[in-house]
Amino acid sequence: MAILGTTLNAIGLIFLTHAVYSAHEHTAAFAHAPLPLDISIELLVSILVLSAGVVISSPQLKPIQWAKWSGKMQREGRKGDGRWTKEGEEIVTENDPYAFLGLDAGVGGKAEGRRGFWDVRAKRKEYTEWVKSGGKN
Amino acid sequence: MATSNLLSPPAQITPNTALKLSQKAPIILSSSPTSSLPWPLSLLFSRETPETWTIHENLLLAALRTGDDASARQVLDRLTSRFGESNERIIALRGIYEEALAKDDKELTKILDGYGKVLESDPTNIAVRKRGIAVMKSLGKTAEAIASLRVLLDNSPTDVEGWAEMSDMYASIGSWGQAIYCLEEVLLMMPNAWSAHAQIATLHYLSAPASVPSLSMSLRHFARSVELNESYLRGYYGLKLVSKKLLPLLSETPSNSKRNDEDDVPPPKLQTVKKLEELATGKLAEIIREYKSGNKKWAAFDEAEVIAARELLDRDDKTER
Repeated sequence: MAILGTTLNAIGLIFLTHAVYSAHEHTAAFAHAPLPLDISIELLVSILVLSAGVVISSPQLKPIQWAKWSGKMQREGRKGDGRWTKEGEEIVTENDPYAFLGLDAGVGGKAEGRRGFWDVRAKRKEYTEWVKSGGKN
Repeated sequence: MATSNLLSPPAQITPNTALKLSQKAPIILSSSPTSSLPWPLSLLFSRETPETWTIHENLLLAALRTGDDASARQVLDRLTSRFGESNERIIALRGIYEEALAKDDKELTKILDGYGKVLESDPTNIAVRKRGIAVMKSLGKTAEAIASLRVLLDNSPTDVEGWAEMSDMYASIGSWGQAIYCLEEVLLMMPNAWSAHAQIATLHYLSAPASVPSLSMSLRHFARSVELNESYLRGYYGLKLVSKKLLPLLSETPSNSKRNDEDDVPPPKLQTVKKLEELATGKLAEIIREYKSGNKKWAAFDEAEVIAARELLDRDDKTER
């Protein structure tokens, strides 16, 4: 879809420029004659093509209902919109806003979150045990 | 990749992910984000962004988790030189570093005393107060940790993170009533948090798995969690489990008998529970089907959770036959 949108935008811009230039030349040459029909048509068509291109190349709309939006995120996972920091980390825009509560994994679960209470020793122990057991998944 | 992202780490970090996160240390440490030029020029040529320091902080935690203490020290030094030694957050991060390096409980107790001293000079340092509570919990002193957290919440009752932690601690010692109360405080501040609704429903269920009032409360909260998130597997799983337990109890007791004054909410109607159970079964089946078929738009579910849901449905099929 991105290629289609860009092509339509390019074609529309070329025709629009051409139509505007033609109109300018025409009025310069014949100051009192009405604008020929082909220039008007070119102008209108170019604007339609350009509008279609802008609509097609715009990013997909997000659901505006809370349950639909969160459900989509739950199914498709965290996502960014293609921006990255200098360090090479993607900027995640679609994310569970309540993950910081750390309630997702149930009672006594292993969810991250509640970073203020982060138990570094338990996490270290978990990691060394994982390494000792061969480091699978 | 979204899974090993240092800017916003995933909701669950397995040791494997932690390793991937901490392996980014050499790249990030290779270039300094701050400029070495003198003051006015350093403002013009600084390469730091707001994200830089979040990434550094997450890198510090990942490095400590995987035992890469040298990198952790470097990151901590960078943060300290940027924000100063007396910054609240830096004091807490330095505390985490020391905790990680502590060899036994004795050293850890010493660190805890250090936190006490910091709090004497600045009682409003929430970050250090939380570190102290985390250390107490790590030492196994749950009662002390709860008492200390209660002081924190008395002074800062809008601390959602604190309420969630308190609930988890109460749940770990089996005080279901208090745990539920704490989560209700969380819901007061974040009424749209589907995970909090599912958690409170889980607590209601665990507190009395065979009584109609707590099962109905549990059903209500699970229903709310799937109302807030239409593909919340945990919510549907709970809905199915609880309605399955509730159905025989409701059909045994006629709706108007045995109503005591204590439970102010009436139990749900049998018809409603049946409908909810059907809904949950349908949704769970849909999630399992789409996940197994490898649909990319349904790929974010946790595999273990999908397998558990499958087992629940299978068990259900067997009892019906």
